Amino acid sequence: MSLLDIRNLSIYGRNDTDEAPLVDRISLTLADGEILALVGESGSGKSLVAQAVLGMLSDEWVMNAERISFDNIDLLHIDHDSHRSLLGEDMAMIFQDPAACLDPMMRVSEQLLESMPKTTPWWQLGRRKQLQSLISMLHQVGVRDHERLLTAYPHEISAGLAQKVMIAMAIARRPRLLIADEPTIGMEPSTQGQLLRLLSKLNQLHKMSILLLSHDINMAARFADRLAVIYCGQVVEAGPADAIINQPMHPYTEALLASTAAGLCRQPPKTPLPELRGGMPRRDHLPIGCRLGPRCGYARKACVTMPELTRSKVRDYRCHYPLNQRIDVDEEDA
Amino acid sequence: MFIYALRKLTLLFVTMLLLTLLAFLLGHFAPGDPVYKLIGEQNLTPAQYQEVYNAYHLNRPLILQFFRFIGNAISGDLGISTASGEMVLDHLLRALPATAELVIYALVLAMVAGIPIGTLAALNSDTPLDRTILACCLIGTSIPTFWWALLIILLLSLTLGWLPLSGRISLLFEVEPRTNIMLLDLMLSDMGYRAAALRDALAHLFMPMVAVATIPMTQVIRTTRSTMVRLMREDFIKAARARGLGRWLILRHHALPNVMLPVSRDLSLQFGTLFTGAMIIENIFAWPGVGRYLVSSMQQQDYPALQGCLLMVGSIIVLLSVLSDLLHTAADPLTRKDLSDVG
Repeated sequence: MSLLDIRNLSIYGRNDTDEAPLVDRISLTLADGEILALVGESGSGKSLVAQAVLGMLSDEWVMNAERISFDNIDLLHIDHDSHRSLLGEDMAMIFQDPAACLDPMMRVSEQLLESMPKTTPWWQLGRRKQLQSLISMLHQVGVRDHERLLTAYPHEISAGLAQKVMIAMAIARRPRLLIADEPTIGMEPSTQGQLLRLLSKLNQLHKMSILLLSHDINMAARFADRLAVIYCGQVVEAGPADAIINQPMHPYTEALLASTAAGLCRQPPKTPLPELRGGMPRRDHLPIGCRLGPRCGYARKACVTMPELTRSKVRDYRCHYPLNQRIDVDEEDA
Repeated sequence: MFIYALRKLTLLFVTMLLLTLLAFLLGHFAPGDPVYKLIGEQNLTPAQYQEVYNAYHLNRPLILQFFRFIGNAISGDLGISTASGEMVLDHLLRALPATAELVIYALVLAMVAGIPIGTLAALNSDTPLDRTILACCLIGTSIPTFWWALLIILLLSLTLGWLPLSGRISLLFEVEPRTNIMLLDLMLSDMGYRAAALRDALAHLFMPMVAVATIPMTQVIRTTRSTMVRLMREDFIKAARARGLGRWLILRHHALPNVMLPVSRDLSLQFGTLFTGAMIIENIFAWPGVGRYLVSSMQQQDYPALQGCLLMVGSIIVLLSVLSDLLHTAADPLTRKDLSDVG
């Protein structure tokens, strides 16, 4: 049974509902205890999907969907208060730029206390005891020097530490789903690794499902069980992480992979750097047909019509001429 | 932080010195013979004239006179009023608490009413309610204080007859002045009809307080609104919402503390305006504060009193500004950080 089930979610700008949507009929399912990574460039609509799930889409956007359900609770027709309590209990989110997500006027300890589970009323549970459980939680997320952290103001701690605090706040009530929006962007590689290891540990120990939003396909693939690659608000390819990394079926995925450092290392010396021509089209200048069409090196005549999402047994792709298909089929046969 | 405080205190010192210089020069370079201005008496015999001339050390160089003036001011001798023959300081000490009472109540009113209204406007931003509040603010800021005060009098006192016209308390009540702060005096006194007197004092207080509070309140409302609108888009508010915190909790725990600082900082820049407003209002409502003293001294060409008022009010405003600046810096973790970054 899937924990999170999104079916045909579209998100439009409020004032231009007749224009192409920013998020175009995205369907995702996330099983209990699974890590799903949503990979796409900035502006591809990943964050909007996350906000839609949390019910925090700002007034600029209008969404419509066939279904968004969380653990069989219909999030489309849920009233505001129950959605909010769901946010506190079963779903949590961590953001990019964690330092900005902490109240600059409040000490870290107060903010942590605020998000601790309130199972017993405060007058029964002493502040001392609360602090103790707080500290043990900090140890869980890999903070060693808790003394200094607790009395610090948010601007006094590093981004990595702030993200650990955010994670501690997010997992305080043992949510079943954690949405991580570019949790390691702009951090040093060692910190990045630390945080990702922490997240996958939480995933394994507590069976916490994670929806990771990232632009870095390599990182996402190392970490996640399944990937969904988004381009211009459409899922262009989805499937198990290994399969996608090793045999991308969509030209965009291939280009993403080629442009990463690991991909570049595989190039023979003195070949021109692989890249997609041009940039991501603006929302009001989307090409007819395949959205990647004008930039795609493999485009042919059929690409002027929009390819539909083809669903095979394990993998989905949105391309008329998928790459690596033969090998894939062979493997399935074998 | 220490260096910052030191810098501010140096600034305070220099400003005070300049203020004193200004007050001193007022006595000397305003038209007329200093002797007549200081003594107020026009018909002096030459011997008397010489006596005063020597007594005030007018025969010494100007710079020495200035130092003497500073020395006197520090020891509390602001001269003798030519109009009443009373020590200027004594009168000021009676008038200041009255002004302080008015200004402080007005400040409190501005904060207590302004912050909720500003928050209300921010949470309903770009709705008719928000626009109405902003329009009222604009009117409140642009309206001349004295005219606004007269309008209030016209409405509440003359037309409706709800509130007394002027003064601090009805003449029927005899309040023994101890602190010169009317409400405090009333609390301390053991006279009969204390509740009635208190009610009467509050009725007298209402109109001047509202008139003085209007301009700072509009400022508070606008600052609260703009800060709150900006804050509500901040990441940490979004993160708090994503954690499932209620709207009211976010407002109380995260938004309001962040709003308070810019608001009170803005307000502390308004001390000057506030005092000026209070002075005008005092004259309209016959409130026996510094403003009334100042204006009546002007009319009577009472130079020592003018000097005293200028010095006293000026230094209070400067002192309060510096003090509030230091307090704000100490209270705000982000400015503290900036300071320690600079070194």
